[in-house]
Amino acid sequence: MSATPEAAEGRLVTAALRCYPARWRRRHADEAAELAALLIADGTPAASIAWSYLAGAAREWLVPRRPRSLSEASEASAAADCRPGGAVSPPRPQAGRAQRGLGTEGNTGRPWRGGRRLAAALLAAACLIGFSVALAAEGAPAKAAGTTQAPASPGAGSHSPHRLNPCRPAQATAHVRTC
Amino acid sequence: MSTREQDVLRRAGEASVLVLVSLADGPKHGYALIQDVKQFAGVELGPGTLYGALDRLERLGLIESLPADERRHPYRITATGAAALRAHLDSLERVSAAGRLRLQLGGA
Repeated sequence: MSATPEAAEGRLVTAALRCYPARWRRRHADEAAELAALLIADGTPAASIAWSYLAGAAREWLVPRRPRSLSEASEASAAADCRPGGAVSPPRPQAGRAQRGLGTEGNTGRPWRGGRRLAAALLAAACLIGFSVALAAEGAPAKAAGTTQAPASPGAGSHSPHRLNPCRPAQATAHVRTC
Repeated sequence: MSTREQDVLRRAGEASVLVLVSLADGPKHGYALIQDVKQFAGVELGPGTLYGALDRLERLGLIESLPADERRHPYRITATGAAALRAHLDSLERVSAAGRLRLQLGGA
């Protein structure tokens, strides 16, 4: 491969950003890419930024979103019901769903939510595998550039203890933690 | 309403509280937030964590995004956010005071 280290770093971050849901990408992808570029320019390893985005993407897929307020939930529910062919989501109990909030587990809403969570988990897993492959592909240029990024094997990266601890002590500075 | 109910940040996570504290003195975009939090708290927020916190706070109505400055979106704390932060800091102060008192009494 003849890619420059900068291009390789950019691709790594872009690959991680692609793992986010489309609604997140529409809203944040541009500024997230710019933020990554600034952090890389500051000396933050691209792999670390990419992993952070990857973890964020997994959270976006797996954590149920709650509406901002009761009125917003009602509006969202009404808008969904008014869509042409609005039965994209499975039938749900009409009375009180908006009042309970979309993020809460209603008694009868569980089968639908469970299926959605399973789909999200499968998507996240597929994304993780794809990202690991991308990381493996980018490993060679990073090493050529003399960086000290983690090894690019798919298994090793995804199970690093550092990634499991959301707020770990930073290695470079004694009093700075990464989160 | 009890103090616990008022403290909506109680379960929002450390990153959300740090972001809110950083925004308390004026609007900032993502990079400035990361730098500021690192400076005052010694915590280096990862960008994924930062956007997770920003989304959560925005959904709760505690912050709002301002019109984009080129590709950067500055964020600003809302009045609700300021009140929530005050309530949370009050709660932390009570816990901190109780902890210090008990350490003194216990002689630890």
